[in-house]
Amino acid sequence: MKDTAHDTTHGELHSELADRFDTTAMATETTLLNPRFYTTDFDEMDKIDVTPVRKEWDALLAQMKSDPNKGHFKKTADWDHVDWEGMDPALRAEFIDFLVSSCTAEFSGCVLYKEMKRRGTNPDICELFSYMSRDEARHAGFINDALREAGVAVNLGFLTKAKKYTYFRPKFIYYATYLSEKIGYARYITIFRHLEAHPEHRFHPIFKWFKEWCNDEFSHGEAFALLMRTDPKLTQSWNNKLWIKFFLVAVYSTMWVRDHARKDFHKALGVDIDWYDQEVFRKTSTIARQVFPIEIDIDHPAWIPALRAMNAAMIDMEKGKKKGGLSGRTRHALASLRAMLAFARLYLIPVKANTPPVSVRLEPSY
Amino acid sequence: MALFTRTKETVPCTVEVSHRFESLHAHVRFDNGAVVNPGDEVLVHGAPIMAAYGEVIVERRTATITRATALERLWTRMTGDFGFMELCEFSFSEELTA
Repeated sequence: MKDTAHDTTHGELHSELADRFDTTAMATETTLLNPRFYTTDFDEMDKIDVTPVRKEWDALLAQMKSDPNKGHFKKTADWDHVDWEGMDPALRAEFIDFLVSSCTAEFSGCVLYKEMKRRGTNPDICELFSYMSRDEARHAGFINDALREAGVAVNLGFLTKAKKYTYFRPKFIYYATYLSEKIGYARYITIFRHLEAHPEHRFHPIFKWFKEWCNDEFSHGEAFALLMRTDPKLTQSWNNKLWIKFFLVAVYSTMWVRDHARKDFHKALGVDIDWYDQEVFRKTSTIARQVFPIEIDIDHPAWIPALRAMNAAMIDMEKGKKKGGLSGRTRHALASLRAMLAFARLYLIPVKANTPPVSVRLEPSY
Repeated sequence: MALFTRTKETVPCTVEVSHRFESLHAHVRFDNGAVVNPGDEVLVHGAPIMAAYGEVIVERRTATITRATALERLWTRMTGDFGFMELCEFSFSEELTA
């Protein structure tokens, strides 16, 4: 789930609350968590009938109920000392952005899932969302602790600010969160395996926790895969196939652009960003064969050039916006056009068709 | 629900903020069962709820729900989907240039 602008309200909140905030942490900065609030068609979600996948559903829910990661998110002797003072400032900035964005994402997930649990009346669905909400809150707490060590205090004062509720159709929630959870798994496990082979690049202990952590993401994704299987139209109809393709292209290209803006983070990990992103796409696409009828052709000769064009256009858009004035606006508009063309190029790459297997369920295997 | 005018409702609510290692979360529950719809705005009254680290705060508060007009609700339902990228996690913020 996307983080919302945590920087914009930073200064405002700092002045407002600096003297009231958590004084037990030696906070040098505060970051306001600013999740968005959503509604959906709760009646439609209540009507979901998991009967067609009942056996797999019950097995997954039993596993989530047993809470295999209950004891995992604890600081043990493996949590080495972090030299925040000695960390290169550029790396520190990108790593803090990583922690804050990840914390906000977990937190927003927790708010969304909790809301779904509370508004729903379908016991299967409510049970699922209560476990997922529990996991997300736990992850958020764990990241928050790492942030505290870095002298960054997270502020939960957002509740008393006016919040507007936006709306997503349930199927958009399924596609987006399914992809998000599976990509999250692929991202974390790829970094974990890389650092297993190259421990000298592990510049923070949090990466040691990624393996069990991403198993939570994996099983959340499994739940959405099962939900999508309860209604074949969701993945088989002509227009939904186009939506799925749209989601895949939008999410993959956004990931590419954001990762490529974090050169110091990936350099410290010893990771080549092109390689890493392609590897994450590959794993995600392989996993997504469980439910999606199409797969993006990431080895197509136009794929990487169009991603690079998109990246350059997005950077120019931001530069234009920051510059402002007529020339800045013109630059922004021209760059937006380039970004749209790059997106169209990516979208028009022919997909590979896929027939999802009879049995949906997968186990994490990377 | 009016087409052009917004109405406001004042409702009792319970807020829970947990700022603990085991769980970082914050939720609002409307005690009278009020339901929030697309485009509505919610404001919890009073001072910000500042849970210190290790603390869980549960408080009764009052909230104002500003109901969206019928047009706003329709608009939110039609356009909300376009914000779907917010539901995706990318590890990094949208900022690209330092």
